[in-house]
Amino acid sequence: MSRVLDVAALAPLGFVALGAMSILLLEVALSRRPNPEGVAATRSPGPAARTRIGTLLAFAASGALVLAIYAACYLFEAGLQSDFGPGRPLLQLDALSSFAIALIGLGALFSVWLSITYLPAMRILHGEYYALLLLATAGMFVMVSAVDLVALYLGLELASLPTYALAGFNRRKLRSNESALKYFLVGSFTSAVLLYGMALLYGATGHTDFAGISRGFEGGGGLALAGLALMLAGLALKVAAVPFHQWAPDVYEGAPTSVTAFMAVTGKAAAFVVLLRFLVLALPELGDRVEILLAVLAALTMGIGNLMALIQDNVKRMLAYSAVAHAGYLLVGFAAGSAEAWTAVLFYLIVYLFMTVGVFCCVVALAQGGREWDSIDDFSGLAGRRPALAALLTLFLLSLAGIPGTAGFMGKFYLAVAAVNADQIALVLILVATSLVSVFYYLRLPVAMYMRRVRHGEPPETSTSEMVVLALCAAAVVYLGFFAQADPAGMGIRALDLAGRAADFLH
Amino acid sequence: MLGPYVDAYLISWVVFLPFASALGLLLANLVVGFLLRSNGLPKVVWKVTAMVASTLSFLAALLGLWSRFDPEETGYQLVERVEWLPEYGIHYFVGVDGISLVLVLLTTFLVPVALLATWNEIDRWLRSYLFFVLALETAMLGTFVALNLFQFYLLWELMLVPMLFVIGIWGGPRRVQAATKFFLFTVAGSLLMLVGLVVVYRMNFEQGGALNFDLVRAVGTAASGMPLLETVIPAQASETVPWWQTQSWLFGAFAIAFGVKVPLFPLHTWLPDAHVEAPTGGSVILAGVLLKLGAYGFLRFALPLFPDATVEWVPVVVVLSLVGIVYGSLVAMVQRDLKKLVAYSSVAHLGFVMLGIFALNLHGLTGAVLQMVNHGLATGALFVLVGFVYARRRTREIADFGGLARPMPVFACLLGVVVMASIGLPALGGFVGEFLILLGAFGAEPWAAVVATSGVVLAAAYMLWMFRRVVFGPLDKPENRGLIDLDLRERVAVGLLIVPIVWIGVHPSPLLRRIEPSVSVLLQEMELRQSRTALAANASLPESAP
Repeated sequence: MSRVLDVAALAPLGFVALGAMSILLLEVALSRRPNPEGVAATRSPGPAARTRIGTLLAFAASGALVLAIYAACYLFEAGLQSDFGPGRPLLQLDALSSFAIALIGLGALFSVWLSITYLPAMRILHGEYYALLLLATAGMFVMVSAVDLVALYLGLELASLPTYALAGFNRRKLRSNESALKYFLVGSFTSAVLLYGMALLYGATGHTDFAGISRGFEGGGGLALAGLALMLAGLALKVAAVPFHQWAPDVYEGAPTSVTAFMAVTGKAAAFVVLLRFLVLALPELGDRVEILLAVLAALTMGIGNLMALIQDNVKRMLAYSAVAHAGYLLVGFAAGSAEAWTAVLFYLIVYLFMTVGVFCCVVALAQGGREWDSIDDFSGLAGRRPALAALLTLFLLSLAGIPGTAGFMGKFYLAVAAVNADQIALVLILVATSLVSVFYYLRLPVAMYMRRVRHGEPPETSTSEMVVLALCAAAVVYLGFFAQADPAGMGIRALDLAGRAADFLH
Repeated sequence: MLGPYVDAYLISWVVFLPFASALGLLLANLVVGFLLRSNGLPKVVWKVTAMVASTLSFLAALLGLWSRFDPEETGYQLVERVEWLPEYGIHYFVGVDGISLVLVLLTTFLVPVALLATWNEIDRWLRSYLFFVLALETAMLGTFVALNLFQFYLLWELMLVPMLFVIGIWGGPRRVQAATKFFLFTVAGSLLMLVGLVVVYRMNFEQGGALNFDLVRAVGTAASGMPLLETVIPAQASETVPWWQTQSWLFGAFAIAFGVKVPLFPLHTWLPDAHVEAPTGGSVILAGVLLKLGAYGFLRFALPLFPDATVEWVPVVVVLSLVGIVYGSLVAMVQRDLKKLVAYSSVAHLGFVMLGIFALNLHGLTGAVLQMVNHGLATGALFVLVGFVYARRRTREIADFGGLARPMPVFACLLGVVVMASIGLPALGGFVGEFLILLGAFGAEPWAAVVATSGVVLAAAYMLWMFRRVVFGPLDKPENRGLIDLDLRERVAVGLLIVPIVWIGVHPSPLLRRIEPSVSVLLQEMELRQSRTALAANASLPESAP
C-alpha cells in the first residue's frame, strides 16, 4: 500500500486535529481588539461580542467535523483498508474505523451545535471549549482505529484529558468541579488498570499488537488471563458497566449538558468499538470463555442501571443511569458474540446517538440565565408552553424506552434476535424485564409535561441550532424506527447495512 | 365501485384514513398558525374533519370491505402485501377474514359515534385529543388486519401511547396513576410476547431457511420463507428442545400479553382504574375496541400457533374466565360509581368471551366473536349514557341519582334498552352471543356452562338494580329536578348504537354467516397443526431413543 493512501486514510484525524489548533489561534486573534490608540488590548471583549466569537468558533469546529465525517464516509464507501505505523501497524483504517469515525464525528458535531446557545446561556463561553472538544474527538478517532495497545492507550489519553477539562467547564458551579475531579480520578484509575492489563498481556505474549496477542495468548497462561481481566475491567469502567458505573451519575449531573451529551454519545461509541475490536481481533478463540463473563456483566448492568434510574429526580442523573442501562443492552450483543450481534451492536450505537442527543438537546434548549431545568418537576406543564419541544422529548424518551415505531425499538429488536439466535434466552428475558422498568422512569417526564400543572415561568425560545439538531434527531428516530434497512427514498442508505458492512471487517 | 385507487387498497384506506387526516390537520394547523400568526385552525374545523374522516373510514369499511367480502370463500380476503424490511421477513401484510371483518366494522363504527357523543366534552387541548383518537383508531384497525406478526406487534404497542395520553391528560382526578398503571400493565404483557415472538421467529428460520414473520403464505407473491403457521413447534421439552422452545412456554408468553388486554382475571386490576379516570370517549374506545384486541390476539395468533398448549391450558383459562365472570359480577354489584360498575361488568362479559374461545368448538368461538361485537356496542352505549349524566351532574355516584325517569324520560328509556342488551335479553344482541357461548361451553365442559349461567343471572341482578336506583324511585335530590333531557345529538349518538344491537338480536345471520367459516378454518388449522406436531415428535423419537 502506498504512503499517499496511508495519509489519505488519516484525513479525518488530520481535519479534526488541525481544526482544534486553528480554533485556539483563531480565538486569540478574534478576542484581541485594537483600542483607540491602535495597540492590541488585553481587555476581554463584551458579552455580545463574545457570543459572536463563540458562534464563529463553533462554525469552524463544525467545518472541521463535517470534513472529517465526509472523509470517513468517503473511505467507508471506497472500502479502503490500510495500516498505518512505523514498521508494524498501529492504526488500521478499515470499514469499522471509518464507520466509528463518522458516528463519533456526528456526535461531536451535534454537541458543538448544542453548545452554540447553551454556553452563553450558562455564561461559560470560552473559546477553548471547542478546541478541547475537537481534541477529545481526535483521541476517539485514534482509539477506534487502534490495532495496537500503545496506539490504543495514546488515543484513550488524548480522548480523556480534554474531557476532564470539559466536565469542569462551569468553574463557578460546585457540581461541575466535583464532576471534573471525579471524572479525572476515575479516569486516571481506569488508565492505570488498563496499563497494568496491557503490561501483563505484553509480558505474557510478547506483543502489543492485537494480531500478535491473538497468536501468543494460548501460551500465555494465567498471566495473559489476568491481563485480559484487567483490560476488560478498564473498558467496563469506560462504558460505565456495573459494577464500574459509580462515577457516571455524578459526572453526568455536574458537567455542562452539552458536554454530558458528548460524553454519553461519543465516549460510549468509542469505548464499545474498542471493546469490539479488541475482543474479536485480539482474542478470537476466547469468545466462549469471555461470553459468560460478558453475560453476567450485561445482566448486572441492565438490572442495576434501570433500577437506580427509577429513584432519580434529576433528569441528568436519570439519563446517566439510563446510559448505564443502555450499556447493558449493548453488552447483550457482546455476550451473543455472532456476526449478527456485532451488526446489531453497531446499529444500536447509531440509534443511541440520535435518541440521546435528542433528549439532551431538549434539556439544553431549556437553559437560560445561568441555570437549567434539570429536575423532573421543572418539566411540569411544559406541553402547554412548548408543545413541539414536549412532543419531541416524548418521542426521544419513548425511543429510549424501546416503544415500537421508534428507532430504539428496532435497536433492541435486533439485539434480542441476535441473542435468541445465540441461545442467550435468559439475557433476553432480563433485557425485556429491565426495559419494562425503564418504561416507568422514562414515562415520568411525559407525565410531568402533559399531565401536571405548570411550575415555572416562561421557558426560553428554542434557538435555530437546537431546532436543527432536534429535527434531525427526530427524523432519524422515526425513520430508523420504520425503515431500519429498507430504503424508501432510494438513496442507497440502509442503516443496518452500514452497520453490517462495518461489522464484516471483523471476520 | 369506489374507483381503482380505493378498490385495490381498500383495507389500507380504511386503516389509514383517520391517521392521515390527523396528520393533515396537524400540518394545516401549523401552516395556518404560521401564516396568520394565530392559534391554528379553529377547533370546529378539527372536530368536523375528525368526524368526517372517521365516518368515511366507516363507510369504506361498510360499503367496501363488507360488501366485497365473500362469505363463501375461506381464507384471507382483500389481501395487500408490500415489502417493508424484506431481509428480516417483515412486511406490510394485511387481509381480513370473517373475524377481523366484524371487528374492523365495530371499530370504525364506534369511533365516530364516540366523537359525536363527546362533541362538547373536551375543551382543553382539543386538537391534541382528536389527533390521539384518530391515531389510536388507525393503530387499532391496523392491529386487526395485520397478517405479519411483527407488524401486529408494532401496532399493538404503538396503540398504547395515544391511549396513555387520552387517559392521562383528559382523565379524572387520579388520571396520572391510572394512565401509568394501564401503560405498565400492558407493556409488561407485551414485552414477554416480544420474546416469545422472537423465539418463534428463530424456529421458523431454522425450519424454513429464510427469515419470515408472515402468518400465512401470501397468495400470488414471491414470498421467501415459510409462513409462521407451518412452523413445527414441539409440545414437549426434550434433550434437543430447550424449555423455551416449547409450545407451553410460548403460549404462556403470548397469553399473558393478550390476557392483560382482555382482561383475564387476575390481570384485570388496571381496567377499573383506567375506565373510571378516562374521559367518556376514551372509555368507549377502551371498552369497545381495546379489550377486544386481547381476545382477537388469542384467536388470530395464540390458538393457531400453539394448539397443543392451548388444549393443555384450557382448564386454567376456563377456570380463570369463570372466576372473572362471577367475581366481576359480584364486584359490579357493590359498586357505588356508575363507571366502575360498567367497568367490572366488562370484566364479567369478557370472561364470557374467553370461555367461548376456550370451549374450542364452533358454537363457542362464533359466540365469542359475536359477543365481542355486542359487548363493544352495549358497553360503549353504557359509557356514553353515563357520560351524559356525568356532564349534567358532575357525579357518577349511584346514590346521587334516583327518579331520573321523570326529568329525563328519553335518557331513562335508552338506558333501559342498553341495560337489557347488556344483560342479554332475547331479541337484543347480547342474547345470541351469550347463548352460543353457553352452548359451546356446555359441549366442551358442562360444569363450566352451569357456573357461567350464574353469571347471566348476576348480570341481570346488578344491572337492573343499578337501573332501578338511577331511574326509578322518588326524585328526592333537588339537584336532579332540573336536569335537562338528552338533546338531539345525544339521542342520535345512543340511537346509532342501539340500531346494530337490535339488528344483531333479531337477525344475526349476516354476521354469523361471515364469522362461522373463519372460525371453522381456525379449528381445522389447529387440528392440522396438532397432528403435524405429533408427527414431528414421532419422527424424532427413534433418533433420540438409545
